[in-house]
Amino acid sequence: MPTASEIKKQLEDNWIQFLNANSTNLSLESLTGATPPSVFVGRYGYPKVKVGPMVPPLHGDTTILDKPEMWLGKSIEEIVEYRLSLIRGVSTVDIHSTSGKYVESLQEVAMASNSVESEATFEKRPVADIEQEKYLGVDTDSAPFGPVAPLKAFKTSSSLSVDRRLENAFYDKDLRAAEGIVDLYQDGVEVSRIHRILSMGMLGLQKKRRLVPTKWSISATDDIISVRLTKEIDTFPIIDSFKVHKHIHLGNHYSVILIPTDTWSFEMQEAWFDNKGNLGLGIDFEDANGLDHYPSIAGAYFAARLGVTEHLFKRRHKAAVLILREIRPEYVMPLGVWQIREGVRRAVDGEAKQFDNFEKALSFACVNLSVSKNEWIRNSKIYKNMKEQMRITDFLKGNFNG
Amino acid sequence: MVFLAKTKSPDEWKAVTSAISTLVDEATFEATKEGVSFRGMDPSHVALIDIHWPNSAFQTYDCDATIKFGVRVDEFSKLVRRADKKDAMEVTVGNDSMLHIKISNSYRKEYKMRLIEGSSSSTPLPKLNFNSKVVLTASAFDKILSDVQVVSEYISIESKHKQVQFLGKGDSGEADIIIESGSEGLEELDVQEESKGTYSLDYLSKITKAVSTAGGSVAAEYSTKMPLRLEFRVANIGRIHFYLAPRVQD
Repeated sequence: MPTASEIKKQLEDNWIQFLNANSTNLSLESLTGATPPSVFVGRYGYPKVKVGPMVPPLHGDTTILDKPEMWLGKSIEEIVEYRLSLIRGVSTVDIHSTSGKYVESLQEVAMASNSVESEATFEKRPVADIEQEKYLGVDTDSAPFGPVAPLKAFKTSSSLSVDRRLENAFYDKDLRAAEGIVDLYQDGVEVSRIHRILSMGMLGLQKKRRLVPTKWSISATDDIISVRLTKEIDTFPIIDSFKVHKHIHLGNHYSVILIPTDTWSFEMQEAWFDNKGNLGLGIDFEDANGLDHYPSIAGAYFAARLGVTEHLFKRRHKAAVLILREIRPEYVMPLGVWQIREGVRRAVDGEAKQFDNFEKALSFACVNLSVSKNEWIRNSKIYKNMKEQMRITDFLKGNFNG
Repeated sequence: MVFLAKTKSPDEWKAVTSAISTLVDEATFEATKEGVSFRGMDPSHVALIDIHWPNSAFQTYDCDATIKFGVRVDEFSKLVRRADKKDAMEVTVGNDSMLHIKISNSYRKEYKMRLIEGSSSSTPLPKLNFNSKVVLTASAFDKILSDVQVVSEYISIESKHKQVQFLGKGDSGEADIIIESGSEGLEELDVQEESKGTYSLDYLSKITKAVSTAGGSVAAEYSTKMPLRLEFRVANIGRIHFYLAPRVQD
């Protein structure tokens, strides 16, 4: 396994190589390439935000550059290479402007079923001022991207083919955004494509449509789908034992503990050591009454909750869930919450180890983690509740009059 | 099929809707000849509310069958809150599947609210014997909860013959409140057996704040490691019972 500094070194080398190899492309004021398809809505300056396509200096099928569902098993170097090859063109747009020629051309791209040949003309050359260091230690819910340049014009090839499902949702202007999101998900549309059209203001009631910063559109999509799934799960039979699933990728260790109990609750804990060796912890919890605050671990919470509720829904199982995520130094830069969603999905797809009590399940979940079991449970609400909080239903046993 | 219930003020409906809103988003009321009732648990099954509002408590009450009607609690509550303290309020279920709320004083206003499909299942009540009973004014009870909540998420209630103690413990420290027989705010203390129970403050303070703004008193009954039952003696309602499952430590 390469160390954190070896990975960083490799990323820098790759970056320099990319800039050299594309020096001609990047020195021009226009760029032709196939957008995967990809669009990005920024957050700064809200409600006037920077919106634009992401175009690589590559042609043909570039789908993989903006499709996290295809990234499982890839190395951090490969993923960063995909992302940094995306040149982001930007133009400032008010979030209420969900029509107009420019926005509509991006909406078409967002609906495309394949990569779209396009030409971006810039006000000035794309600037590769994205130093690796800029990302380090800064959390971000969306995946990184390469050089940025203000856009003068953007054209796509006329042969663009749109995905019918996305198009139908776009033209249904009487359907609430939450319903639209859930419908698309049930139709098998990937989360990454749903949040893309959500961000372009393409879902929801006509009057309420607006552009949504990519970061928020990702959280909202994960949140809405997984809340819906928790309601469905509630009607399923309870699992028959504690189950622990694990997965390690990209310097992230995941332990997913499924708890046999009749009401929903969910907790996610994240732990990391900072460069001084101090332990950092982030914890958020909800019970069957739902989340009552914006999670301190932000989009990670919703991505993880989607990964696991989807599994329970598919298996028609009811369980409460505790997810432990330990972030190692090898995770040299935040890659976006997709890696949490995919990491949890991969974990629960694998075999589970079964246990007859919480203690044993936790002990197994903590094997190979640097943070000790006691440290994880010290602040765990779900653990304390499982041990201490009784239910009204516990006192109904033997009451046959009800 | 007729259901019409008229009260001289909106206070009772306000107390009922805000109590229910602390537990559920949707509620199914049942109206019979005898009166209006509601019973439901929160989604975590930790708390239960049992309300019965007898026909005698209304200014006018007319119901000729058993009628169940489901509402979204926040929507209902919003409309009820549009009534001033001295406004008379009339609630009826129309043939149009709408709940009609007529508020009248200096002028009349009428709201119609869409009913939702009610739940058909009924919630049983736990059968409990209580060894201790503490009756406090609602304001004293609310204050005690807030005092303990400063340091803890849970409150332990420990009752002896002539005193009751409220305890809390958290990361930052501990709280210990002792109230003796005869103290101001304590209306009754009846201890058949010394008892100690621990309960979630989150649930307790939400329900107490929701109901006790109307004043009155709160009777807390419990036994060691058993559910707590709060009876809110407020306004002109027969019964508002709140059951809360205990927290137990081995």
